[in-house]
Amino acid sequence: MEIKLEVNRKHYILDVTEDERLLDVLRNRLGLTGTKEGCGEGECGACTVIMDGKTVNSCLVLAGQADGRRITTIEGVGSRRSPHPVQKALVEVGAVQCGFCTPGMVLSAKALLDQNPKPTDDEIAVGMSGNLCRCTGYDKILRAVRKASEEVAE
Amino acid sequence: MTQVIGNGSIREDAWGKVFGESKYPADFNRPDQIYGVVIRSTQAHARIRSINVDKARLPGVITILTAEDMVYNRHGVLFRDQPVLAEERVRMIGDPVAAIGAESLAAAKQAAALVEIDYEPLPAIFDPEEGMKPSALPLHPELFPDTNILYHLPIRRGNMDEGWTQAEVVVEREYSTQMVDHAFLQPEAVLAYIDERGHVVVQVATQYAHYDRGEIAHALGLKNSKVQVKTTTVGGAFGGREDISLQIIAAMMAWKTMRPVKFENTRNESFYSHSKRHPMKMYYKTGAAKDGRLVALEAKIIGDAGAYTSWSPNILRKAAVHATGPYEIPHVKIDSYAVYTNNPYTGAMRGFGAAQPVVAYESQMDLLAKELGISQVEIRMRNLLKVGSTTATGQVLTESVGAEACLKAVLPYLTGKEGRV
Amino acid sequence: MDYFRPLSIEEALGLAQQPGRLFLAGGTDLSLHMREGRINPLGLIDLGKIAELKEIRLEGEWLEIGSMTTFYDLGQSDLIRKQAKALWQACQTMGSPQIRHQATIGGNLGNCSPAADGLPPLLALGAEVELVSARGRERVLLADLLKRTPLLESGTLIKGFLIPLQGWDSGFAKLGRRQALAIARLSTAFALKRQDGVALEVRAAFGAVGRRAFLSEPLAQSLSGRVLNESWLEDAVKGSQNAVAEALGSRASAPYKRVAVGGVVRQALKTMLGGGNHDGD
Ligand SMILES: Cc1cc2nc3c(=O)[nH]c(=O)nc-3n(C[C@H](O)[C@H](O)[C@H](O)COP(=O)(O)OP(=O)(O)OC[C@H]3O[C@@H](n4cnc5c(N)ncnc54)[C@H](O)[C@@H]3O)c2cc1C
Ligand code: FES
Ligand code: FES
Repeated sequence: MEIKLEVNRKHYILDVTEDERLLDVLRNRLGLTGTKEGCGEGECGACTVIMDGKTVNSCLVLAGQADGRRITTIEGVGSRRSPHPVQKALVEVGAVQCGFCTPGMVLSAKALLDQNPKPTDDEIAVGMSGNLCRCTGYDKILRAVRKASEEVAE
Repeated sequence: MTQVIGNGSIREDAWGKVFGESKYPADFNRPDQIYGVVIRSTQAHARIRSINVDKARLPGVITILTAEDMVYNRHGVLFRDQPVLAEERVRMIGDPVAAIGAESLAAAKQAAALVEIDYEPLPAIFDPEEGMKPSALPLHPELFPDTNILYHLPIRRGNMDEGWTQAEVVVEREYSTQMVDHAFLQPEAVLAYIDERGHVVVQVATQYAHYDRGEIAHALGLKNSKVQVKTTTVGGAFGGREDISLQIIAAMMAWKTMRPVKFENTRNESFYSHSKRHPMKMYYKTGAAKDGRLVALEAKIIGDAGAYTSWSPNILRKAAVHATGPYEIPHVKIDSYAVYTNNPYTGAMRGFGAAQPVVAYESQMDLLAKELGISQVEIRMRNLLKVGSTTATGQVLTESVGAEACLKAVLPYLTGKEGRV
Repeated sequence: MDYFRPLSIEEALGLAQQPGRLFLAGGTDLSLHMREGRINPLGLIDLGKIAELKEIRLEGEWLEIGSMTTFYDLGQSDLIRKQAKALWQACQTMGSPQIRHQATIGGNLGNCSPAADGLPPLLALGAEVELVSARGRERVLLADLLKRTPLLESGTLIKGFLIPLQGWDSGFAKLGRRQALAIARLSTAFALKRQDGVALEVRAAFGAVGRRAFLSEPLAQSLSGRVLNESWLEDAVKGSQNAVAEALGSRASAPYKRVAVGGVVRQALKTMLGGGNHDGD
């Protein structure tokens, strides 16, 4: 089955199988391995990508459902030369440990700040509530998002 | 000298992680790789009558491994008591029995579902106290011919009769903690291949690369120098990546087929393929004098080792050594045991046996405080280890004993008055 | 497996004539069930490209909600907040942001888990469901639909939900094991029509007790036509405990849920009874 995708501002026409997930398309067909699979069932958020401005778990999106949509993965956010404020804050606050949750965290935080540049602490907690981290205990991640929001809002 | 403590510094690897550049084992691929799937025991304890792989030889299936393919089919951090692939017996649900390698993951999964294993169920032990009974069937007769108790540490200090005589109040309770999975966020994955030197290379997220290399070489019958373990970025571990999971199976499959082999656990498979935190049953009897000083402790701690040894002796040793908590007690009788059962095997996890007894000894402190009518803080202040204290194992502490300073420092942050927290 | 992307309801219904085909909404239930091998459809009919199914609008005396509306869209909607408060509240805590962006209200009914968060509010609000199939259209009270087995004849599409606008006030609460991504262990929605401090009419719905969400008629009757005061609230709690105990019978969770429902009911009613500040404005 053929699908059209825009991923990180590049356009693709891909031949996929019907039961393939967006996660598989990104990792296996496009080699974008920054998107992680932690659970494969919508619980952990490690596979989070932004689809038409909203976060989704790419492990729950079938390739066909992504047809015609605009996707941003971690590879499409920031660069070493110009990191996104969220990426910078996560590094500076010390909110990155094993890093397996980090790409998903970056995308959830980015999507949150894109919509709501000055979130309250509660709004940050809700915005990040679909992403599990087993290492940090969350506190520093939430602090990093707050810090990034201050920079974004400036 | 540079000031290190209290100075935040940026971790080297953080930048690679925020851009999604860091590579975990599942992020590696090699041309011409085959995909592996492990078939695991559905039985807690059973004899394997037969393994029939005939129906699994589907198009696209390259190889099917069973115990016979191993040169030396055992591994383990302390004792090599864990089969790489089950021999005549499975001892827990999740024991690897066979492995399929195929051209695609889908083909491997399809074939795995067609392997027929004929089990003859055996009586299983799920409660370590049952396993300790002389009538229980020993699970590792080759190591322990007539018992499932694989470790016992007695600690004795002072004189118990004297201790109980001095006690004004005595609190006696049973405590138990549950089995816990590390649930590190990155499920196990491994890529094994034969490099241009003819060496076996295993790329894996591990806590223990040199040990992995030794176990792989041993099982494959190779010299250590012919095996290389490359540690990739590790997606959390917390003790759960100290034992072998997929490493040997993947290495053997690559060695046998001479093709790169990739295994990637689902979360579900991950739960079956690594150790767990020891559940502990703890019997505590603690006595205190009128002024709140602890005078006697008798404790029995039973750790569920599950089906294999892993680090159980070390963990139950630590549980025993920490059984008094940060408190000085003159008369002490502690016994800790590690016992085989047919539960998932247990091993290292954050705290390594020191975490479980906290539940028991701190609860005892609260109960004693209540009996004596003094505050929870007061009873702790009166008993904390200090410089000059002797621990239950006879160690005299000569420096760096921070317990009292620590408790004083955190007190203002604890809610409630009169030392009730 | 086939995969279809129809652009209209008619096209979707036509495709659904073949056996073994299933409608695909957000896929948050369906794709997991497929991966687990619990279902093996021969074809998926992806409803994602049918714009008509994604509308929320006022139509005369009714609030209409298309089946493909996501929990996120509902939770952001002022219309829902004002006219269907319990549903709006349920949408704030359902799943996680990622799940809410994808999961639909139609899929919530289609999957019909005992713990489906959308159903108790819709029941309490007296919602009707619009079904369409090759055999025609049907409007049925959700409460009646939930008594059918199977829930839907094959090839039947849930077009949407209709909530009567009759000045009902409503509230929802759920008990989960954590604050996000918590499947309800127990949920409740109450709706209330009142005048001068009297509860003229009441509806009470429960989720995660028994096979499907349900309305408790006896409880609704015992609370209707009474002055809203402390003793009304206490009777609501007691009556809920009885309703839950009866629905669960001897299930292992019964002793726990019978007690826990008290707190959940108080929470659901708090937003409504808390001194007139009941519409969330
Ligand atoms: C991590 C996670 C957390 C979750 N948390 C919650 C929660 O907190 N509360 C909760 O209630 N649910 C929760 N769910 C379950 C799920 O998200 C909901 O049930 C959701 O509403 C399903 O909607 P969907 O659009 O994804 O449906 P789908 O998965 O696409 O479909 C579900 C079923 O309904 C049928 N169907 C869908 N649309 C129609 C239609 N228009 N007409 C006829 N049949 C149709 C499908 O054929 C399928 O059988 C969770 C799921 C996950 C994975
Ligand atoms: S891998 Fe998709 S949510 Fe965990
Ligand atoms: S940093 Fe390891 S899971 Fe978050």
